[in-house]
Amino acid sequence: MFSTIFKHELKYWFRNPSFYIYVFLFLTISILLSAASAGIFESNTVTNGTAIIANSPMRIGNMFNTLAIIIFFLFPSIIGFSVYRDYKSEMHTILYSYPFTKANYLFAKFFSSVLIVLIIVLFVGIGLSIGFSLPGTNPILLEEFSIMPYLQTYLIYIVPNILLYGAIIFAVVVFTRKIIAGFTAFIILIVLQSTLVALFSNPEYTFITGLFNPSGISATEYYIKYWTISEQNTKAVPIKELIIYNRLLWTGIAMLIFGIVYKYFKFNQQPIRLSLRKQKGERAIKSNFGSIIRVQLPKVNFDFSFRQYLKTTWKLSSIDFNYITKSIPFIIMLLGVTLSLLLDYFEGSKFRGTSRLPVTWRMLDYGETFQLAIIICTFLYAGMLNQRAKISNINILVDSMPIPNWTLLLSKLIALFKMQWIMLTVIMITGISFQVYKGYYQFEIGHYLFELYILNFMYYALWAMMAIYVQTLIKNTYVGLFLLFSLFIFVSTAIPNVIGITQDIFLFNNGTVGYNYSDMNGYGNSLSSIFIYSFYWFLFGILLIIGAGLFYSRGIVGSFKERLSIGRSRFTKKIALGVGIVSIAFLSTGFCIYYENNVTNASASAKEKEQIIVDIEKKYAKYEDYAQPKIAAVTIELDIYPKELNFNLKGKYVLVNKAEVAIDSLFLKYNNYPSTFKFNKSNTLVSKDSLFQFNMYRLDKALQPGDSIQLDFTVKNVTNTILNTHSPVLENGTFLNSFQLAPTIGYKRVGLTDAETRKKYGLPEVALKAHPSDTTALGTNDLTRDADWIDFEATVSTSKDQIAIAPGYLQKEWIEDDRRYFHYKMDQKMLNIYSFNSARYEVKKDIWNDVVLEIYYHKGHDKNLDRMMAGMKASLAYNTENFSPYQHKQIRIIEFPKTYGSFAQSYPNTIPFSESHGFIADVNDNDIGGIDYAFGVTSHEVAHQWWAHQVIGADVLGATMLTESISEYVRLKTLERVYGKHNMYAFLKYAADHYLRGRKNDVTGEDPLMYISGQSYIRYSKGALVFYALSDYIGEKNLNAALHKFVKKTNLKNHHTQLQ
Amino acid sequence: MELIIKNLSKTYKNGVKAIDTINLEIGTGMFGLLGPNGAGKSSLMRTIATLQIPDSGMITFGDINVLEDNLSLRKVLGYLPQSFGVYPKMSAENLLDYFATLKGVSSKSDRKKIVTEVLEITNLYEVRKKYVNGYSGGMKQRFGIAQLLLNKPKLIIVDEPTAGLDPAERQRFLNVLREIGTNNTVIFSTHIVEDVKELCNKMAILNGGRILSNTTPTEATTALKGQIWKTVITRDELELMEANYDVLSSNYNQDNSITVRIYSSIQPDGDFREATPQLDDVYFIALKQDESVLVN
Repeated sequence: MFSTIFKHELKYWFRNPSFYIYVFLFLTISILLSAASAGIFESNTVTNGTAIIANSPMRIGNMFNTLAIIIFFLFPSIIGFSVYRDYKSEMHTILYSYPFTKANYLFAKFFSSVLIVLIIVLFVGIGLSIGFSLPGTNPILLEEFSIMPYLQTYLIYIVPNILLYGAIIFAVVVFTRKIIAGFTAFIILIVLQSTLVALFSNPEYTFITGLFNPSGISATEYYIKYWTISEQNTKAVPIKELIIYNRLLWTGIAMLIFGIVYKYFKFNQQPIRLSLRKQKGERAIKSNFGSIIRVQLPKVNFDFSFRQYLKTTWKLSSIDFNYITKSIPFIIMLLGVTLSLLLDYFEGSKFRGTSRLPVTWRMLDYGETFQLAIIICTFLYAGMLNQRAKISNINILVDSMPIPNWTLLLSKLIALFKMQWIMLTVIMITGISFQVYKGYYQFEIGHYLFELYILNFMYYALWAMMAIYVQTLIKNTYVGLFLLFSLFIFVSTAIPNVIGITQDIFLFNNGTVGYNYSDMNGYGNSLSSIFIYSFYWFLFGILLIIGAGLFYSRGIVGSFKERLSIGRSRFTKKIALGVGIVSIAFLSTGFCIYYENNVTNASASAKEKEQIIVDIEKKYAKYEDYAQPKIAAVTIELDIYPKELNFNLKGKYVLVNKAEVAIDSLFLKYNNYPSTFKFNKSNTLVSKDSLFQFNMYRLDKALQPGDSIQLDFTVKNVTNTILNTHSPVLENGTFLNSFQLAPTIGYKRVGLTDAETRKKYGLPEVALKAHPSDTTALGTNDLTRDADWIDFEATVSTSKDQIAIAPGYLQKEWIEDDRRYFHYKMDQKMLNIYSFNSARYEVKKDIWNDVVLEIYYHKGHDKNLDRMMAGMKASLAYNTENFSPYQHKQIRIIEFPKTYGSFAQSYPNTIPFSESHGFIADVNDNDIGGIDYAFGVTSHEVAHQWWAHQVIGADVLGATMLTESISEYVRLKTLERVYGKHNMYAFLKYAADHYLRGRKNDVTGEDPLMYISGQSYIRYSKGALVFYALSDYIGEKNLNAALHKFVKKTNLKNHHTQLQ
Repeated sequence: MELIIKNLSKTYKNGVKAIDTINLEIGTGMFGLLGPNGAGKSSLMRTIATLQIPDSGMITFGDINVLEDNLSLRKVLGYLPQSFGVYPKMSAENLLDYFATLKGVSSKSDRKKIVTEVLEITNLYEVRKKYVNGYSGGMKQRFGIAQLLLNKPKLIIVDEPTAGLDPAERQRFLNVLREIGTNNTVIFSTHIVEDVKELCNKMAILNGGRILSNTTPTEATTALKGQIWKTVITRDELELMEANYDVLSSNYNQDNSITVRIYSSIQPDGDFREATPQLDDVYFIALKQDESVLVN
């Protein structure tokens, strides 16, 4: 009996075209992916660097596992369908009275469908290996083919996982007799799994997640998460204890679940019902007499107007909407993701164990889980609404009603919109509730409404249109869902980029997200392009809906050919005209976007950029060591126009020949803002390279050693366009710096460091940086090659309601032409780096010894000011006590919008500090492991006033250790003074984890801390660990004494890195 | 208004010719469409109800070109398919309100009025708050009638509505149909001859997608007067009887003897007595002749 059913099931699948479609689809996807990772599209994209072996055992495992997970989405419609088919066709009414055992029935159904899935997955493996061996792949990225990694992944991970997830879905469908229940179970499983993994992401819990993540991936991670590049390239994934335990545990659970199915399954006509209340039985009789009645229908009005159809559309959508909100899968999914959202609010997006204040933009950053839930519900219910009438067999009645197709179609779309609104509303309610719970009462309802119901809704609405289209065309909801989800994955990830599709206009619904909200500056300039793209895709959406209308099936439609001919007959002149107009609008919008992005703002592709960098290096490399004067004094006049998003800069450099030879040529590297340059000594412009923005001047009379020359320059803004942001100025919270605005002197090599890529382009091998023993390099400042220490003076003007800040001390402040002017001047030498900030600031002041402490902050962001003040004081105290006196009389922290990023940077007596980095920290002193980072980051940045602004390394290996590692060390020491030594271990644990994870992806290779070439995972994390350990080994006093001696020797002098 | 069908044909994907060049004119009153299972009745009715597109032919109802202007026909159409389902967890009242909206009853009070009335007519008012998917077969069929009435249809198409109903339900159902049929066009398909006999003014017999006869029940039976004979025989005589005569029906009696009815223009022999022609005879003669056409 078993074999009869088993064979029958297999035959069903082998005769079913969908099986071949799945196989084809997965084969293609896996070939594409593996071929792409093996560099087949290299001609379209940048060169893959050295060292990433695409088909190393680990990477094969990753790819194979990831693709296999997508196949899980098919389980409801393959494994669940195996039993559901009997219920759907009502075969079970006959079948279940036949003489076979339930073991025969269940095992045959389950294993036949599992076998089908296994076959499909097998083709993923085959596809991967084909992709790796295609001609055109880059042999450097490939190893010899070996079957082992495929077998290992297939047998140890994929097969048990298929059994587990398959058993769960099978069980749910057997008991509920509904595919959708199986699908819901699957979604819940995925949400649960990812939420738990995220919740236990702390390095301490890796063993637990390794054991309990049913996919087995965390268990593997446990062993390989710190693998270096060469390990990733060569080593086989180990099969160790935790992996074996995990596999045994979950295979056991799979068997247990199947056992439960076996025990409780009955050959019943009715599904098993879980009901809390027992219905009371009642004898039912009906009246059998009195049958002649007069039919006299009351007079009612019939309205077949367009308006009435619209009203009906709305009403129908409400009925469909009610169906969705009452359907259990929806409720379960929504509850699930709401819980996961709450968990995310509580635990997620912590920065090193410290949470952040529940500001509204953070509440609105609801994460991928919720987003996916909305997307999946949209895809799923588009199908369910389409199939609902058919499933209930009411379609034949509904279809004969005097209602046009578009009313029925549109009502489904609107029902989906309403469903999305509900889900978005849940986010708002959850967000506000969380804010109330946290005692945060600055409710920004308008912000919620705008972002959820306009910005986010536009994005989801477009997916709803696509979903209606696909689900109208495809008769099987789950196949439609699978196709839609594949499309979603394709356009939302980097896959198109890899195969060379880089334009948003070719990828559905791209360009419609990506705003960046800041409390200081709102959405800034990011909205207009979103609206344009949304409009563009909306036009496409209309075409989709019209397409759906043409192929909407009404009544009994037989063949595909018949559908086509119906579609053709519905394509009336009126429709054709509409399609024509919308198509023209769509194409011309697309063309405008294309023109704007590619012609007006021609930007080179990554591939072209690579070539440009090569050309530049080939052309100018010989000038790298050409003697150049150094900047000795900088005067800036900067006008910031916040309302107009504009600026104007006038600058003056005094350049001094500090070399021992006369200088006959000057090289000027500038930026892409329109600039003018004028030297006060006669010269000729020999070469002007507008691509690289590099000018070469020949001085009529060479600049003798010790002589100076003055450069006057102006820099103008480039205004924003509707699609592209060019201006660095923001309405509130402008943050500009010298790197971005001011020209530099001389040529310095940029880019291409990867040895293989350099070889490919015929560039010579170079060291990343000179070794400290190279004395010629010691004359160059690590941060600014063209300057040592400078005199600095700046006049900054801004609108009347804002404060503008630059390094130095305020000399004078005045109002002129309704604008506010600030004149700053530094009273001593400083590094040639400076910043300009302008915003409507509140100011908090304090004093430490003789030093004035100031924090310029956005109104409302005051929760962490005391911690920052404490951090400044602690760091000033520690550095002064141990190293040297503070060189300035003032220190300022200046908040800037998160639009520019989430970081803090130290300029002379000035520390711009991102709003999202410390100002909204929600420090809880009882949190174990959470370290007060408002305090800590401040302390680190203040330490830079010594470790960068007093002691600066030369442009050689190891320079960043002096700045970042020691600043991190100071941060730890100041924290230790406040919070005690035992609390430092949590910090160090994070540092260790960060270091090891950072090393994972480093292709350049790790050098000793002393000779690092600049990787952040080394200079911060390893640096912190090493210096903290050093202070443990030789004593804090001894270490600091050594550092003190070093400071004394090098303070404000030129560039040493040898620290002994 | 008159429904006119001209040269209607439809062949399914699997090669079955469900409608084969059908021509019919159907006026006001009850029109019975009689035919065995699989004769093409449902296909024809679905096509008239705009739910299926024929390969060729034309249908008009009054001045509505049915195949071109689906919507206009649907406005005056009341259709009860052979089998239909309902959305789960919806009461009769809500579902009828839903249908009334679809049928263009725009005001809420109007909807309430007409829904109440059709519930009364179909004797469902008591159970209007119950879920329709929990109804018995007869109740569900009455619900089908109720929804059909909502737009005061001019053309009513009911497809095998009495199959599976108990006698009381069937009787009530036919009465309601009859009541509407006096002023409207009702097309009523069945394989039960009794149904047609009891209430149709006109009828057609359909088999293999073709109209075999288009007449009225009375005319048809009158035309057979003196040509139907019956006799009682034993089981063993049956084969001989079938070989020699045109046997229309043979039924067991309680004593295991068999009553046969045959079709013959003259009295076959002394054992036969003349029988009053029944509509059944008309039906079987038509089918029999059709079969012999196929055999030849």
